[in-house]
Amino acid sequence: MKMNKAYLLLFLGLLTGFHTYAQQPSGSAHYTISGTVTAQKSGETLIGATVRAAGAGTVTNEYGFFSITLPQGTYQLQVSAIGMQSHEEKVTLDRSIRMNVTLRDETLSLEGVTISSSRTDRSITNPLMGVNKLSAADIKNVPALLGERDVLKTIQLLPGIKSAGDGNSGFYVRGGASDQNLILLDDAPVYNASHLLGFFSTFNADAVKNITVYKGDMPAQYGGRLSSVEDIRMNDGNNQQYHVSGGIGLISAKLSVEGPIQQGKSSFLVTARRTYADLFLKLSPDSSINNNKLYFYDLNAKMNYILGDKDRLYFSGYFGRDVLGVQRTFGLDWGNETGTLRWNHLYNDKLFSNTSLIFSNYNYNISVASGANNFNIFSQIRDWHIKEEFDWYLSNRHQIRFGLNSIYHVMRPGEVKPGSATSNFNADLLENRFSWENAAYFSDVWKASKRLNITYGLRFTAFSILGKGDFFHLDDAGNILDTLHYNSGQFVKTYFNPEPRLAFSYQLNATSSVKVSYARNVQNLHLISNSTASNPTDKWVASTNIIRPEIADQFSAGYYKNLWDDTYELTVEAYYKRMQNQIDYRNGADVFINTNAIETELLFGKGRAYGIEWLFKKTAGKFTGWLSYTLSKTQLQVNGINQDQWYNARQDRTHDISIVGTYKLNKKWSFSADWVFYTGDAVTFPSGKYLIDGQVVYYYTKRNDYRMPAYHRLDIGATLQLRQKKKFSSDLVFSIYNVYGRENAYTITFEQSKDDPDRTDAVQTALFKFIPSVSYDFKF
Amino acid sequence: MKYIQLGCLLFLAISLLSACQKVIHLDLKPSDQPYVIEGIVTDQPGTCRVLISRTKQFADDNSFQGVSGAEVTLADDAGDTVRLVERGAGVYTDSMFIGATGHRYALQVTVGGKRFTASSTMPSKVTLDSAYIAEEDFFGDATKQLNVMYQDPAGQPDYYKFVEFVNGVQVQQLFVGDDQLTDGKEVTSTLRYFDDKDNKNDVPKIKTGDTIKVNMECIDAAVYKYWSSLESSATGSSQSASPANPVTNIAGGALGYFSAYTLQQKVIIAP
Repeated sequence: MKMNKAYLLLFLGLLTGFHTYAQQPSGSAHYTISGTVTAQKSGETLIGATVRAAGAGTVTNEYGFFSITLPQGTYQLQVSAIGMQSHEEKVTLDRSIRMNVTLRDETLSLEGVTISSSRTDRSITNPLMGVNKLSAADIKNVPALLGERDVLKTIQLLPGIKSAGDGNSGFYVRGGASDQNLILLDDAPVYNASHLLGFFSTFNADAVKNITVYKGDMPAQYGGRLSSVEDIRMNDGNNQQYHVSGGIGLISAKLSVEGPIQQGKSSFLVTARRTYADLFLKLSPDSSINNNKLYFYDLNAKMNYILGDKDRLYFSGYFGRDVLGVQRTFGLDWGNETGTLRWNHLYNDKLFSNTSLIFSNYNYNISVASGANNFNIFSQIRDWHIKEEFDWYLSNRHQIRFGLNSIYHVMRPGEVKPGSATSNFNADLLENRFSWENAAYFSDVWKASKRLNITYGLRFTAFSILGKGDFFHLDDAGNILDTLHYNSGQFVKTYFNPEPRLAFSYQLNATSSVKVSYARNVQNLHLISNSTASNPTDKWVASTNIIRPEIADQFSAGYYKNLWDDTYELTVEAYYKRMQNQIDYRNGADVFINTNAIETELLFGKGRAYGIEWLFKKTAGKFTGWLSYTLSKTQLQVNGINQDQWYNARQDRTHDISIVGTYKLNKKWSFSADWVFYTGDAVTFPSGKYLIDGQVVYYYTKRNDYRMPAYHRLDIGATLQLRQKKKFSSDLVFSIYNVYGRENAYTITFEQSKDDPDRTDAVQTALFKFIPSVSYDFKF
Repeated sequence: MKYIQLGCLLFLAISLLSACQKVIHLDLKPSDQPYVIEGIVTDQPGTCRVLISRTKQFADDNSFQGVSGAEVTLADDAGDTVRLVERGAGVYTDSMFIGATGHRYALQVTVGGKRFTASSTMPSKVTLDSAYIAEEDFFGDATKQLNVMYQDPAGQPDYYKFVEFVNGVQVQQLFVGDDQLTDGKEVTSTLRYFDDKDNKNDVPKIKTGDTIKVNMECIDAAVYKYWSSLESSATGSSQSASPANPVTNIAGGALGYFSAYTLQQKVIIAP
């Protein structure tokens, strides 16, 4: 609480300082240049493009909008964006101007060397240091499993972001658990962003415009998860020309169609991807094979309309599903559906607003039909969300964002229905859970002096748990003492939490800067999962009167340097994160248990994570790539586990190294490779064994006191640009995953030795050795 | 639920393109060796026994090494106590002791200067209506599996454990269940096990002419918690992220359980 009071005083102090700055010096008239930056060929808005004039600069927002205010005069306006040729224009500013800037794609010279004056998108003067942005081109340059490029797999090659391992979905950012990452697709949260046990994510990389990753120090407009935000923006659709592109790989086929509805004013984009391996299963004459189902699909559909100078409307939808069926006996399917309607409005040349209406749905279905045992289990989380955000480009010293957010969550945690009247299963319905999450935020990026930028903000959230429902009081052993009944719409409890966000960024000289930041994040949705592989059947549960909101306080410091004429970037960041109300499970917890009182299986404690991250990146030339290294530790302390002592979290990995390289040989060939290495997960291994009912059972002492073996693998890839005609281009992508076939441990289990029943063996299972693949992509 | 775990395991099995397994060597730190107590009281004569041993180091063999010289007493809720006699190292029995439904039994073991206590209430007996062999087909591989049928009593929580013997050899698999979703229903449960052909020690799959015996145990809630937590986190091959010792109903720091259960058996010949 002392922290909050001190912060409030600082905040008030800054506000008063801000008022004096806001007053323009009298005498010189100031005018504003505002508009949108788009790509010439496609009409796509460019996110994060830099717009500069006379030492003042800004960056386009998520909708490509910028606004810059200068005294009357003549200026050279410079606009640049990664992957595009920069643009310079002389502007005479004697009144406020609205200008839309188009940038051309960077061109390839005859030798195949890229010509682009913006060699790096990282300008040391940018106040938002320490934010990782990846464009579609960055994602294309990394070899991928089975030829599928993947946005979420690519970010796992950056420091501080760790993969959950082969066959597992999810990832860990700065020691946080895999449910602590907010994954947004065009503003809509995606609850389970993985297909097929984590081999692929639900994002079709061809349609992704940009992904921005915040590792815990997110600005105030984001909230709801402790460890990170992955803000994924898709292309809107080419509003100049029609294009069809697609491809076929070893596992899946994809197709994308985009084009204008009215040229220059509106466009659409539809992309679809589906696996086709199961079609071969259907061809088999054997009924024990042709009855099986194994596929997933993703479908994205978008439309946007420019309704005049000040307004733009967007519709987007995403539908995806994974289906697994074993004959008629067992079926499992899960999937996300999201829909958003967004309206951009310009109130004036300094005030941009976006209003979003968002719907998001995630559910899974399990069906079992084995003789008289037939039943279905269904579980779902559904959100209705309204968001209003303003970008106020007050002056060149203050760029303000403020807004409101309201989400209504309905969770259907579990419904068991008998498959037929003769089923020997009863219907069992868990109560729905209702909650209402509200947030208001304010943030200012304040250019306090030529070298110092201060970003300060506050996000204030109120999370309300609503009836109708039964809530409980438990004793220390998890037994129910009391059941409280609430009616529909009644407030069970509301958690209020202020989340301050503060960052100081100081430019040391033209090529280097330092940054110090603090952020508090609060999380009210928790993923209940107790297995090594994160299952699609894990449950999302909202805070209750017993499950308190998780809170994380993260302090971080960073040093950023551009080297050798901006061709190299060096980033060093260190962080310390303290987490409260972390959830773990009682010994022997049954998290599949169908009970309204899930809290009987849970224990609560605290966590701490700290580390140092290094990133060295080469951004220009024929050879580009990066080297990333993270040294870190994550621990938890929960009363009731490990004799109340601190223990390593499962995702604690001391060292994590990624080396990525891409070499553009010439116009036809480019090669890529990546090598990853990380210390194994912390695991619990037995300390002894004994016999129960004639069977060997293992004895455990400390939690997560051992390590899995280290993980490392090398992937290589090559892209061959086939004949490129005027309107048609195609390429072949080759890749090999795990080139030297390292058997990386997926699990280690213990069993009686197959040769000698008197001995106990530790058996390691590895999933993938070398997996080659070829895929063909086309575009016209 | 077991079905979810079964499904995910199958899913994994199908999706594994080039999975491989190998035996590896691990350096496991030795630890203390707590006592292990298995206490059993049933409603059938000659079955009452308590087995006492200690945990062994990982590299030791898997034989049962009983602990002698313990003082083992059983008491019923009327206050009558009986002292069990050691018959073979670590095995303590009483040939006369029979339990009855609804009664609460208390076990007390004093060994090595430590005292352990536990209690268990014998639940009501649910009749094992029938046991039969049915064929199942998983991916073209036909196996015979044992099915048991019983009528779950409505309106009360019931917990079951089954033990399967094929030609006299116990199948090394835990079959435990509750009636959370099947309360009051006629339940058919498949005691499914798979035979790993590489493993010489596995019980081979059921073939025609085999003698199959099934024991049905009606157990109390604490004992069900012991077996289900053992199955999910201590068998060495579980999918649990956090392996841990099963939740025991024995107080004092021993591993193991004390179970008062009703016992029924059926023997059939596989067709």
